[in-house]
Amino acid sequence: MPRRPDAADTSAPGSPPDAAPNRVPADPSEASGPTPATPSGEVSGAASGEAPGSAADSAAGSASDVRSSRAPGPGTAADSGVVAGPAVGVRSGRAANSPRGGLSRALTGWGFALPFTLLFLVFTAGPVVMSLLMSLTDLRGTDLLNPFNVNIVGIDNYVRLFSDAKFLTAAGNTAVFVVVGVPLTMALSLVVALGLNSGLVRFQTVFRVGYYLPVVTSIVAISVVWRFVLQPDTGLLNEILRFVGIDGPNWLNNQTFALPTLIVMGAWRNLGFGMVIFLAGLQAIPKDLYEAATIDGARRFAQFRYLTVPMLRPTMLFVAVITTIGYVQFFEEPFVMTQGGPLDSTLSLAFHTYNQFGFGNYGYASAMGYVLFVVVVLLSIVWFRLLRSNVE
Amino acid sequence: MTRRLLAAVAVAALALSACGRDSDGGGAQEGEAVAGGKASGDITVWAMGTEGEKLSVLADAFMKENPDASVKVTPVPWDGAHNKLSSAIAGQQTPDVTMLGTTWVGEFAKTGALDVVPPDFVKEADFFPGAWETGVVDGTAYSVPWYVETRLLYVNKSVAEKAGVTSPPKTWAELTQAAKDMQAKGGAKWGIYLQPGQMGAWQTVMPFVWQNGGDIYDGQGFTLDSPEAVGALEYYKSFYDAGLSTRDRLREGETEPKLLSGEIASFVSGPWHIGLLDELGGEGKYELWPMPTGSGDFTSFIGGSNLAVFKGAKNRDAAWKFVSYLMKPDVQVKWYQTVADLPSVQAAWDDETLAGDAQLKVFGDQLDKAKAPPSIPTWEQIAAGIDTELEKIAKGTESAADAAKAMQSQATSIGTGG
Repeated sequence: MPRRPDAADTSAPGSPPDAAPNRVPADPSEASGPTPATPSGEVSGAASGEAPGSAADSAAGSASDVRSSRAPGPGTAADSGVVAGPAVGVRSGRAANSPRGGLSRALTGWGFALPFTLLFLVFTAGPVVMSLLMSLTDLRGTDLLNPFNVNIVGIDNYVRLFSDAKFLTAAGNTAVFVVVGVPLTMALSLVVALGLNSGLVRFQTVFRVGYYLPVVTSIVAISVVWRFVLQPDTGLLNEILRFVGIDGPNWLNNQTFALPTLIVMGAWRNLGFGMVIFLAGLQAIPKDLYEAATIDGARRFAQFRYLTVPMLRPTMLFVAVITTIGYVQFFEEPFVMTQGGPLDSTLSLAFHTYNQFGFGNYGYASAMGYVLFVVVVLLSIVWFRLLRSNVE
Repeated sequence: MTRRLLAAVAVAALALSACGRDSDGGGAQEGEAVAGGKASGDITVWAMGTEGEKLSVLADAFMKENPDASVKVTPVPWDGAHNKLSSAIAGQQTPDVTMLGTTWVGEFAKTGALDVVPPDFVKEADFFPGAWETGVVDGTAYSVPWYVETRLLYVNKSVAEKAGVTSPPKTWAELTQAAKDMQAKGGAKWGIYLQPGQMGAWQTVMPFVWQNGGDIYDGQGFTLDSPEAVGALEYYKSFYDAGLSTRDRLREGETEPKLLSGEIASFVSGPWHIGLLDELGGEGKYELWPMPTGSGDFTSFIGGSNLAVFKGAKNRDAAWKFVSYLMKPDVQVKWYQTVADLPSVQAAWDDETLAGDAQLKVFGDQLDKAKAPPSIPTWEQIAAGIDTELEKIAKGTESAADAAKAMQSQATSIGTGG
């Protein structure tokens, strides 16, 4: 919304300029209001009245109330008028109690919220609630025609999960991926961001694009290239290792190395995202802080430790939360690279859930999805606790 | 507020009380008869992969014979096909006819969405018995095998010649010996490549169980830990223990060049590998061997795709007419010429196109002795469990007996979804 109080004032001739700042949010609809005479009258009343900053909702109520008594009916024209005068603080107490005004206000509000609310309910909240209910039943693929013909099993699915050896393996693998992967990714992206922020001025864009490229590249293309690199006999990585006298393993077919390989791959893929966010965070730190620190005799490392890191806390929180959410649901790498093998050493929770859905165990798989959801929420809370801003 | 809450609880309770599974009305069923005469009206068909792209060729011919009928083929990619069918059934927006992977029949039949095959229209005796079984669930036929595939041994000719292996091994012992010779005398790095576990490995190993006289499921329960099955797993294990097969899984596209270069002397695969090898210039450089026998028959795995008509079909009779048209021997031969799918109808193999081809003849003979896994809704999940255990065997971390026990207990706890 453009902040142009002057332009709005011309459409509402009665309003004094000093009332303008508080009316900024209302300008566009006022300008497009179907009956310009009415709002302008009210606004002038507001200017002569009190409290330019009075609560917007009560003000809206009063406006519609006044208008409905004048206009033929509280139709759509009146509704747009409501928005026209939010700063009108005239006797708001009386108006808010009027049932008619309250209803109209609610209708307007819901009218605006409706498109999103509907979409959200039908396509987001609905499925989420459905899957929660599903996780309490033994719904299977064979029940598709009669989804209500299922047995309610309560928390049975959840209990079963914790005696499912594959689930526990998958949980362990996912934990390793998150615990090692998130700090690794964050550290790498911070290092890259610091490098780009300090030295490289000329080619900064080139590097920024270069590091960001894996983020936007299709995982399928990436997997093909990585598989070539990781080939045991002819792959680039093992060729290089052979050059220094090391006989590299068969990375993706080795139980010990498969998961670490995927962690490195994940870090490489997601580094660009963290880098861009960190770069923005770094550039938002005022330069004079560094100047002051230099004058105080702080060295580079001290500046980093006591100035950059604290100032970056909110940025770190954001990157940590987003990366964690992504990594807990780690799926694509094993899906395209190893199919969870060898011997389930790269089977992740999300992949296991995906398999269970594929087998038609909808109830059981939904329960897994909810466990994953709870883990994401808990880890996010942990991050918020750890990185809570304590600058003040 | 309280009242609203009460109402919500009441609604929820109502919804819950409507739940609960009906007991299955068991017993074999027979399909209803199909009215005679020519087909008419719209017939909607879903088909996957190459079949989906090329089916219109046969559909056009069908429409020429039945001018009042109009066949509409929708190609569906294999990746999303299972989901698309599931959603179609859940939303009751099914086409008239669909193609199904053989291992999906059990699951979709159990939903109750598939029409029973009308016996007067599609005759069991026309098909390879192993293929027909893939469409039968609990004694009732829900789908018809459209095309089939079975697995043979692909062998590098020059390696085999160098090793002095002149005729296909008849028994397990001979196969082991052949693999040894091809490695030691033939110069191959690996005498044979058997998929070391992971997705789909059961298709390589279950034939060993059958060859040994064992089975997966006997109609009452799983028999994965029978002595025959354990013996088959031990045989599978012996190839890794003797260093005849690599323990590392080869990726798609790696096996063909390795066979032609002689790095691996042989592998087990289906008819599509003829095309893949010939594309790499391998024509004449390899030969096909039938499966050997253990203490049983020279059984192999049978796969392919089936055709099913939905109960909710808007044009059921015409749909079955189209399906039975596709099962005519001459149409099956034409289909082979179009997309190289092997006919499921035995009579089609008498045609010169197929009978005259030496490589195909091996497949034709093998199809007489080919079996499918049980058509139960939970098969894919059980198979995934088997694949995991096979991987442990191949990597040498588990004994054959322990793996068999694990397979059996997993399969039993998953059940048959009944």
